[in-house]
Amino acid sequence: MNRCSLAVSRGIARVTEAALGPYQTAVVRIGFSATWLLFLLRELPHRHELYGPDGPWSWDLAEQLIRTNGAFTTLMWSDGRIWFEIVYALAVLASALLMLGWRTRTMSVLFMVGVLSLQNRSVFMGDGGDNVLHLMSIYLVFTRCAQVWSLDARRASRARAARARGERVTDRTGPVLWGVLGFVLVAVTLAGRLEGDWLIPALLWTVWAAQALWWLVGRRARSAEPRILLDVVANVVHNGALLVIMAEACLIYATAGWYKIQGSRWQDGTAVYYPLHLEYFSPWPALAGLLSASGTLVMLVTYGTVLVQVAFPFTLFNRRVKNVLLAVMITEHAVIAVVLGLPFFSLAMIAADAVFLPTTFLRRLGGWAARARDRLLSRARRRSPVPEQRAHESPETTHVGFGT
Amino acid sequence: MNAYDEGPNARHGPGTPAEPGQPAKPGQPAEPGSPAEPGPPLESGPDAGPRTGVAALSLRYRIVVAVALAVVAVGVCAHLGMTFLHVAPANTVTKEHGKAVDDWIYPEFEQNWKLFAPNPLQQNISIQVRAQVRGRDGMTLTTGWYDLSAEDGRAIDGNLLPSHTQQNELRRAWDFFVATHDGENRPVGLRGSLSESYLRRIAVLRLDRDDAVRATTGGGGVIERVQVRSRTSNVPAPEWSREKVSTTPSYRELPWWKVPRDEAAGGVR
Repeated sequence: MNRCSLAVSRGIARVTEAALGPYQTAVVRIGFSATWLLFLLRELPHRHELYGPDGPWSWDLAEQLIRTNGAFTTLMWSDGRIWFEIVYALAVLASALLMLGWRTRTMSVLFMVGVLSLQNRSVFMGDGGDNVLHLMSIYLVFTRCAQVWSLDARRASRARAARARGERVTDRTGPVLWGVLGFVLVAVTLAGRLEGDWLIPALLWTVWAAQALWWLVGRRARSAEPRILLDVVANVVHNGALLVIMAEACLIYATAGWYKIQGSRWQDGTAVYYPLHLEYFSPWPALAGLLSASGTLVMLVTYGTVLVQVAFPFTLFNRRVKNVLLAVMITEHAVIAVVLGLPFFSLAMIAADAVFLPTTFLRRLGGWAARARDRLLSRARRRSPVPEQRAHESPETTHVGFGT
Repeated sequence: MNAYDEGPNARHGPGTPAEPGQPAKPGQPAEPGSPAEPGPPLESGPDAGPRTGVAALSLRYRIVVAVALAVVAVGVCAHLGMTFLHVAPANTVTKEHGKAVDDWIYPEFEQNWKLFAPNPLQQNISIQVRAQVRGRDGMTLTTGWYDLSAEDGRAIDGNLLPSHTQQNELRRAWDFFVATHDGENRPVGLRGSLSESYLRRIAVLRLDRDDAVRATTGGGGVIERVQVRSRTSNVPAPEWSREKVSTTPSYRELPWWKVPRDEAAGGVR
């Protein structure tokens, strides 16, 4: 009994004290925002056909469907061309800024709005990759995903350093951003545009109110306690969302794996052969032919796929086995990206997998990225007299996350 | 909470101190007004006083933390439970409480992870379309069949970044049609008629891109009606298998659909 309560109190201390997995949540943030950004850029020439008011899934058709399910999309606020272009451009901008980690909480909300607006507008254009993105864009809003590898982290460390020198730091961008978005939120609500399902509007209002509270408490509170309270609550929410993200990834693999077990083709070891010979999933017929030339090889890959998918959730209890399976799955997705012609689906799945990557590996990855960046910068500045110094002079950015 | 305690723990590789609550580097995560919180904050005082965490709080605040903890715990468990029931096969619980699960999941948490499962698709389904065109001279002509799926297939060949318009649009529009029509091609409910309009609009758009009118009449003209059919053929059995499958295609031909005048130009430019 005593040990049990000790474990509980230790658990509570852990989930309240810190926002866990700073590197994992950062890599998930970067992974999903980059996937969506690249997708939007790739589809730029096709954006009207996919989501535009005059596309095959026309504004009127979407309107009729959305009236029955109440899904959230800003694209139904107007059937104008210009509105569509604005929403698409803002979706691109929000994903780029979320990737960089600028005003991350706000950008995660705008990123979600962008993803939901476009995907819910044309639900029949998406595939599994869009589905993962859809869910994760909502979950990310609840996380503190910019603790490392972000402009926010750099800004915070600079602000800390400035305060240590006794300087006053005032942030003007935050309140302005908050004010503008608040104005939009109020206007849209008054105009009756948020009358679908309650979930997303409620989330928008909650985040907006929470940011005001955070700012007020930071400025006005007499004691440290309210601030610590908000920090603890933010940690708890973050940790809950992190758990949901990890569980969601496990559910994806478990569902994909357990349903496969019931299929005769996965049982007789030929399943992998078939997608390789579908018109829609065979960009490289010669490669597909080569890969499916050996029946034994096809069977091994077929069985291996099911095995890995079913086993993965259970391997979380053993770090080493988990890491091996993770490497296998990421490799398989990279192969799928090319062989089945599903690059964005694969990228999204790899981004989801990344939540399970070990911290040491992620930090090493960050170190490589930082060194590559420094090398690029110093090469660019080679002609100027102080390139070497500059390259070594950034301990602050190193602290922020690209550290080794 | 078991998975939770194990999960993050497991992510600390060997060599990383994984003490509970101890951030990987001093001064990184979880300071009040910390980097994670963008927007308005960052006006927090230079020093947060005694270290963070519940320990620094008085009873009143601890109660608030306890409530928050309970709310988040209940929310997370409920959401994961509902999501599990949503992706699981129909079972005793979903038969009883299916409505509650659907209310929670739809519209934003809908998901389907039966990826190539239980069996991968083993047939190539090609969507083909032809049109009746009225030429300038008033004569009505019928175009040949255009194999739109084959066009998609060619667009995907050798393509590292296939577009959703090539890979998903027509394929999923057909799935949508099949799911919302009975065996005699009669629409079921609102979604049935939506799927017809959708398929028709795709057909007209693609015929327009293929310049079908000019190819048929030799000049101008307008599409008056379109007809869609599907051609389904089995993927031939692997060479190394002793299985025999017929590769003779089967067709499903839909009735002719009238194309509204304002739609005949093809929609998307």
